Amino acid sequence: MNKQNTLTLVESLLIDYASGSLPLALEVLVESHISMNPSSARSIRMLLQIGGALMENSDPISMSEGSFERLMDEIDGGQQDEEIAKSDVSNDNDKLPLPLRNFVSEATFPKNWRRIGIGLSEQTVDFGDEFGNAKLYRIAPGCGVPSHSHDGNEVSLVLAGGFTDEYGSYGPGDISIQETGAVHKPVADADGECIVLAVNEGPIVLTGPVGRLLNMLIK
Amino acid sequence: MNLRVVAELISSLDMSMGSGSSNDNQNNLSEWDRLLLRVGSDRDRSAFKKLYEHFTPRLKSFLLRIGSDMSAAEEICQESMIMVWRRAETFNPESAGASTWIFTIARNKRIDKLRKDNRPLPDLNDPSFFQIPVDKSDDILQRVEEEKKIKNALKNLPPEQAKLILSAYYEEKSHRKIADETNLPLGTVKSRIRLAINRLRTQLEELEG
Repeated sequence: MNKQNTLTLVESLLIDYASGSLPLALEVLVESHISMNPSSARSIRMLLQIGGALMENSDPISMSEGSFERLMDEIDGGQQDEEIAKSDVSNDNDKLPLPLRNFVSEATFPKNWRRIGIGLSEQTVDFGDEFGNAKLYRIAPGCGVPSHSHDGNEVSLVLAGGFTDEYGSYGPGDISIQETGAVHKPVADADGECIVLAVNEGPIVLTGPVGRLLNMLIK
Repeated sequence: MNLRVVAELISSLDMSMGSGSSNDNQNNLSEWDRLLLRVGSDRDRSAFKKLYEHFTPRLKSFLLRIGSDMSAAEEICQESMIMVWRRAETFNPESAGASTWIFTIARNKRIDKLRKDNRPLPDLNDPSFFQIPVDKSDDILQRVEEEKKIKNALKNLPPEQAKLILSAYYEEKSHRKIADETNLPLGTVKSRIRLAINRLRTQLEELEG
């Protein structure tokens, strides 16, 4: 998909993100994107500010009787220490953006790669989501993913390195969107390994002669 | 939808607003920012009560407008305010004002609830909170001005335009409902919302420049 359409779709993703209507896999992808892209971070910030302003400008509707007292009772009976302690847990996998680290463990990340082609490995990321599937791809410098089409929309985020396909070049933090039926053949830039998070609504269909063979492997 | 009206309204805003500079950033904080800081530093219950009495009825009203039912709205309010109490010490007035901060917490609580109700909840460490992106150039004055501009711009929108902006925060099912009612494809509905947000953003950026 060309850059202009991609920009438009990224804007829509950001709005859906702010309203909280994305499935978990895409929510984490967008959050990772924001952590790498200052311009999108500014958009989200503005959307949250607009949300805050709309909330504060709303005509007040009273809470039911005694709500505050019930809340204080709950707080006083609470387990706040546990809650705060839990949020400090995170791993130091600095190859991955922070939002993704809750889902990819530092221990298994280096081991889970499954070779699916020349210079090409993948691992599944489990978001416990009913929405399609999420995978990490690792492409060696100069190597490519066989030409493939998409049975369902796919959103990809470059986490490290870069790749180029028929539609453009993408670097760290860039999002590429493939619509159902779109065919592309990404090739990793020559100067380093490329790692991509791809969230797909449906299975990928490889279209080349080698690809058709690979289809059997990755299903 | 006449987006030009939005543009005209926004550009007619008082340009001199917030142009004065102050050495004491704390002076620029709203009453609510200050109360929230007091909850964070002193666990101040009377400050928390004031915040509760100001924000929960507005948050409840907002949640009802964007598609939550009555009991879900109250529950999200309560859960959000527990989070406000517990996380108040992490409130940073440079990155967000009280209303933006509380909105962000409520947004996360609402998603939690939707996930719990509709699909399996994955084991997240802390799904209920995420930091509002901070600009390197941030200071309190700039942030306060930004939020003031947004608030005023929204207040002055004609009802039709305000509705369109508000609908960006609707639940997905509400977007489908609009599409059905207007006989427009879902993509068109979303693209109109995106355009309205974009226009508002452009105007706000022009105000800054």
